Amino acid sequence: MNVELTELHRKFGHVRAVAGVSLQAGPGVFGLLGPNGAGKTSLLRMMATVLPPTSGKLYLLDRDPGSYGPRREIRRRLGYLPQNLGYYPGFTVADFVEYFALLKDMPPRQVPRAVAAAIEHLGMGDKARAKLRTLSGGMLRRAGIAQAIVNEPELLLLDEPTAGLDPEQRVSFRALLRDFGQRSTVIVSTHLVEDVAAACTEVMLMDAGRIVFHGTPAELIARGEGHSVGDAPLERGYSAVLAAARS
Amino acid sequence: MTGDELTGWHEDLAAPGPGPHDVDLDRVWLGVAAQVWRRSPGPVERAAARLLRSPGLARALMTTPSLLLGWVIATTIVLLAGMGIALGTGTPWVGLLAPAVAAAGIAYAYGPGIDPAWELSRSMAVSDRMVLLVRALAVFGLNAALGLAASAASGAAAAVTFGWLVPMTAVCALALATATVTQSPNIGVAAGSTGWLIALLTGKAVDGQFTAAITSAAFVIPYLALAACCGAVVMVATRIPRGTR
Repeated sequence: MNVELTELHRKFGHVRAVAGVSLQAGPGVFGLLGPNGAGKTSLLRMMATVLPPTSGKLYLLDRDPGSYGPRREIRRRLGYLPQNLGYYPGFTVADFVEYFALLKDMPPRQVPRAVAAAIEHLGMGDKARAKLRTLSGGMLRRAGIAQAIVNEPELLLLDEPTAGLDPEQRVSFRALLRDFGQRSTVIVSTHLVEDVAAACTEVMLMDAGRIVFHGTPAELIARGEGHSVGDAPLERGYSAVLAAARS
Repeated sequence: MTGDELTGWHEDLAAPGPGPHDVDLDRVWLGVAAQVWRRSPGPVERAAARLLRSPGLARALMTTPSLLLGWVIATTIVLLAGMGIALGTGTPWVGLLAPAVAAAGIAYAYGPGIDPAWELSRSMAVSDRMVLLVRALAVFGLNAALGLAASAASGAAAAVTFGWLVPMTAVCALALATATVTQSPNIGVAAGSTGWLIALLTGKAVDGQFTAAITSAAFVIPYLALAACCGAVVMVATRIPRGTR
C-alpha cells in the first residue's frame, strides 16, 4: 500500500480539521471531494509531509515520515501540487520545474531530460522559456503540475489541479491522471465532479474532517438515485451522501 | 553500387526492423529540448553545489531573497553611509549599524511570505532546515565580510572593527529564532532591531557611551548565551515532528 492512514487527526487550536481519517490506497486515481472546510487540504498536506498530524498513524510508500531518512525517501518519490502554488516571478517554466527536480534530490544528470519530459507532458513546450510572471493562471497551474510529476512520483497529491484550466486542458489532464494512476497512487482534491467521473477509480467524500463515503464513482452515483438535489448523477450522489452524513 | 545491391537496399528500407524509420521523434525532441532549455548555473552556484554536495541546496541558496543583488546593494549603501559618517564624526557607525542590517538579512532569508513556494519547498527531499541554515550562514558571512571591510576602511580601532561580530551573532540569532517561530520576517526584523537597541542603550547606561555594546568585554558572555539559546530555539522549531506512527 502506498498510503496507510489510521485514525489520523489534525487540530488547529480548538478547530478539528481532520477527525479520525483511516485510509489504505494502492495504485489508482482517488478523487477527494467535499465542501469547503471539510478537511481535504489538511489531509493532503499531511500526506505531503508538510503538516504533521496531531495524532494517528501515517505511513507513506511503506515508510514512516516521522523519521528523517524515511521522510527524505518519501519526498524523493512524492509529487505535490498545493492549493496555493507560490512561484518565483523571474523564473522561467523550465527553471521552476528544474528547481523542484533538484530539491527532490533527482540525480543532476537526469534533471534536464526529466524537466523537458514534464513540460512536454503538460503541453507547455512553447512556454518553456517564458517567465512565470507572464503566464495566465491556467498556465501557472500546469507549470505546478509539471513540477509535481517531474520525478515520476509513486505518490502524486494534487490539490485543485484543474482550477483555471480550460476544458481542452482539463480533458488532456484527465488522461495524464489515468496514465499515472496505472503505476502510482494519485489523490486529487477537487470541487469538480466531472473530473472525478472522468478520471478517478475511487472517490472519497469528506465532511467535517471525516471520510463519509469511500467507493467507486458508480457507487456514489447509485447513492444519489431518487435524490433531487444536483444536476448530474454524481452531484446527486454527492449531495445525498452529505445530507445523510449531516442528518 | 550494382543493380542487385540497389534492390537489396530498397528491400532493407521496406523491411521492419531497426533503421531510420524507427526513429522516435518524440524522444529525439526531448533530448533536444533538454539541451535547449537547460539552465547553466553560474560559477557561484557551481562552487556552492560542490561545497554543499547538493545541487538542490545550492540552487535554494541562490534564490535567497536577502542575497539578491538589490538587497546586497542596499546593505552596501547603508554600510558605506555608516563609513562616511564614521570618518566625519569619529563615532564607529559601521559597528553600530552592521548587526541590525545583518539581522534584517537573516530574518528575510527563508520562510512563508518570503519564499513564494515555501509550502512546496517543505515537501521536498532537501530539508527546509538545511535550506534555512545554509541561507542564514551565507547571509551572515556576506554581511560580516561587508561590515568588516567598511569598518576597516572607516579607520576604526581593531577592537571596534572586530568587536561587533559577537553582538551581530547574537542579534542575528535572535532575529532568526523570532522569524522562524512566528513565521514572520517582519517580526524577526523587529525583534533583532529591538534587541540591538536595548544592547546599545544598556551600554550607554553602564559605560556612558553606545559603543560599550561593542567594546565592553562584560557583554560577550550574555551575547554568546543569547545566541546559543536562539540557536536552540531554531533547531527545535525546525525539527521533524515525531510520533506520527
